[in-house]
Amino acid sequence: MAAPDASSAISGLAAARLWAAARYPYLASGVFGARVVAAPGIGTVAVDPGWRLWADPELTANWTAAELGSVIVHHVCHLLREHGPRAGLAGVRPDEARTWIRSADAEINDDLVPAGLTLPGDPVLPSHLGCPAGQLTEQYFTATRGRPTGPGQPGAGDGDTPAGGRGNGGELDCGSGSDGFGRPWESGQPPVLPLWQARLLQRLVAQQVLAGKQAGDVPTGMLRWAADILAPKVDWRRALAAELRKAVADTAGAVDYSYRRPSRRAAAVGNVVLPALRRPVPEVAVVCDTSGSMSDDLLAASLAEVEGLLGALGLVRSLRVLACDTAVGPVRRVSSARQVELVGGGGTDMGAGIAAASALRPRPAVIVVLTDGYTPWPDGPPRGSKVVVGLLGDEAPDAPDWARAIRVPGVG
Amino acid sequence: MAESGRAARQRAAAEALGVAVAARVPVLLWGAPGTGKTSAIRAMARAMDWPCETVIASIREPSDFAGLPVVIGQDVRFAPPAWARRLAEAGHGLLFLDELSTAPPAVQAALLRVVLERVVGDLELPPDVAVVAAANPPEQAADGWDLSAPLANRLCHLPWDVDPLAVADGLAAGFPAPEVPILPEGWEAEQHLALALVAAFLHARPALASAPPTDATSAGRGWPSPRTWEMTARLWAASGAAGVSGEARSALVVGAVGDGAGAEFLAWLMEMDLPDPEAVLADPRSFRLPKRADRAYAAVAAVAAVVESDPTPQRWQAGWQVLGLAANSAPDVAAVAARVLARCRPDGVPLPAEVRLFAPVLRDAGLLHG
Repeated sequence: MAAPDASSAISGLAAARLWAAARYPYLASGVFGARVVAAPGIGTVAVDPGWRLWADPELTANWTAAELGSVIVHHVCHLLREHGPRAGLAGVRPDEARTWIRSADAEINDDLVPAGLTLPGDPVLPSHLGCPAGQLTEQYFTATRGRPTGPGQPGAGDGDTPAGGRGNGGELDCGSGSDGFGRPWESGQPPVLPLWQARLLQRLVAQQVLAGKQAGDVPTGMLRWAADILAPKVDWRRALAAELRKAVADTAGAVDYSYRRPSRRAAAVGNVVLPALRRPVPEVAVVCDTSGSMSDDLLAASLAEVEGLLGALGLVRSLRVLACDTAVGPVRRVSSARQVELVGGGGTDMGAGIAAASALRPRPAVIVVLTDGYTPWPDGPPRGSKVVVGLLGDEAPDAPDWARAIRVPGVG
Repeated sequence: MAESGRAARQRAAAEALGVAVAARVPVLLWGAPGTGKTSAIRAMARAMDWPCETVIASIREPSDFAGLPVVIGQDVRFAPPAWARRLAEAGHGLLFLDELSTAPPAVQAALLRVVLERVVGDLELPPDVAVVAAANPPEQAADGWDLSAPLANRLCHLPWDVDPLAVADGLAAGFPAPEVPILPEGWEAEQHLALALVAAFLHARPALASAPPTDATSAGRGWPSPRTWEMTARLWAASGAAGVSGEARSALVVGAVGDGAGAEFLAWLMEMDLPDPEAVLADPRSFRLPKRADRAYAAVAAVAAVVESDPTPQRWQAGWQVLGLAANSAPDVAAVAARVLARCRPDGVPLPAEVRLFAPVLRDAGLLHG
């Protein structure tokens, strides 16, 4: 009888996978998606980005089903959380691979170990890195970067391929699926799952994780991961940039043609008067909430972002800033966000700020409001201006429907 | 070492570009400035021996695409510019719209008819003119605009993410031109099949038939609409006829209808390959276990799930028969489903013989109680 994959050389694999699928039903598709390959002599169990799990049969022979199953779950999580590609994005150097893998291990283990993961040996937990639990690999990595990783550091002698096996402080090497650097035993085999199928499997697992939510035994870290996969969060800077560009483009594109100036192509046509393309330069006003509940850092960060964006659009000349709590401070034309003084206190009414902004002459085409959201809003948009609202902080209430709102999460 | 993800994506994008050109679907390459989009497209045209007209949208006026009005007697004609006339005379060729995202909104509006219907002024370009565009993501181009949603909806968006190693090789040995496959005669007949697939999918997920983007960030990329679904069907048929890799086919689908809807469609297609669980229960002997373990798991889990939803004695026993067939080659996969069946045993039905098959693996996994 043909086995579904070349896994027969690893004894107890079927029981291990069954243990894993029974313990973590929401990860079962992922557990069965990885193909386990016997790789005698590598001294570890490792994954590659193509969903192949390399296991040294000698090492795994003494493991219980729960231990081998846990190692499979752990490695599948490396793949699901894309630790290999993320290492490349984080700029991990080969000699830092060990630190990266430990950080990635901590990201996986911090909520799966409490949920019953039984890894052989001493699994890396955030507390071992001196960090609070529930963070991302990148955060653990930044916190531990540059610290010695114990005896037998890879990279000390063997260049860009951290040698496999033990010897690295007794920990197992998780393979290129966890840090993106190729391993000697990966001999150019085609991936088990091509990228697009791996992505589909990742989404499928994410859907099953969320479906398992009702059962109530899915760790919150997994739920957060799944929600991120299915509805990726857009960086607020990108979102703010896109909304600002759109508001400016709508205004700039609104009055396209003008007969005030003849078209430069009129000469070609003779008797027809052609309109010239006119692009009005929109005026922009920024209303800053300066009430007591605002966080200065966040306001400064978002104001600097707005300023940078307007600079990129060539509009910084016309930036006007209004400080506002319940009353509106004097309008200042500034050339840099640093010049903005935030004086204020007490209550908040952004309506006053918006009204003051739209009363400016020339009338601003775009009004950017930076607030924590705890404010009354006018019933409708001001005439002739588009409003983009930056909601600062994690718990800001929603902005009204007539404005385009961007959430700026708190500095974490 | 296995090929890096980036290199695989890049190769898939080049393959997908070739298919889109062969199928005459307007395609847009997104990539950072200076990553060889322009040279790849020009090299492709050279390799096909097709004329390539490069038009940089950002330095054009709307009248260049809508036609320049000329008074002739009582009529106003909209005269096409020279590049359009040249393409029309050649009868075929590439119309390459470079720097699309730096075109101001008014020019983007004028491009709408050019991109999809290939109409410039009063001139309709011949059907063998393929429209290819390139753009920098607005956050990378100094004076970029987001593509307007209607224009974005007329294009298949492909990411052009350059692999550093490929650059190194290309500098030394020259960049390979993306290959435009020659589609076999009559491939367009396949389109009906692809359209039927898309239609069946949209029956299952009607919400995805048309989902205009709600936020400005995603407005400039592919999004599902009847037009892009039709485009998807055409690309699906063409890529099947050209025999390109799965990676390229998925890039084309995602490029046409966007990330979310594209992934849903691809996942649904893979689900279609699984045996229908009700048909399997009606005739357990017909069951063939898929080779890949995760697909096998999906197949037996589906069978167990339909039994659990309506556990009549007859269906329950048929379910065990299916698992018995699967137990030999994939005992772990089948045992997961066996635990589901064991939970929903109808009253008074004796345990089937297949149960014994799972005892060893369940015991090894420490899951056998009592």
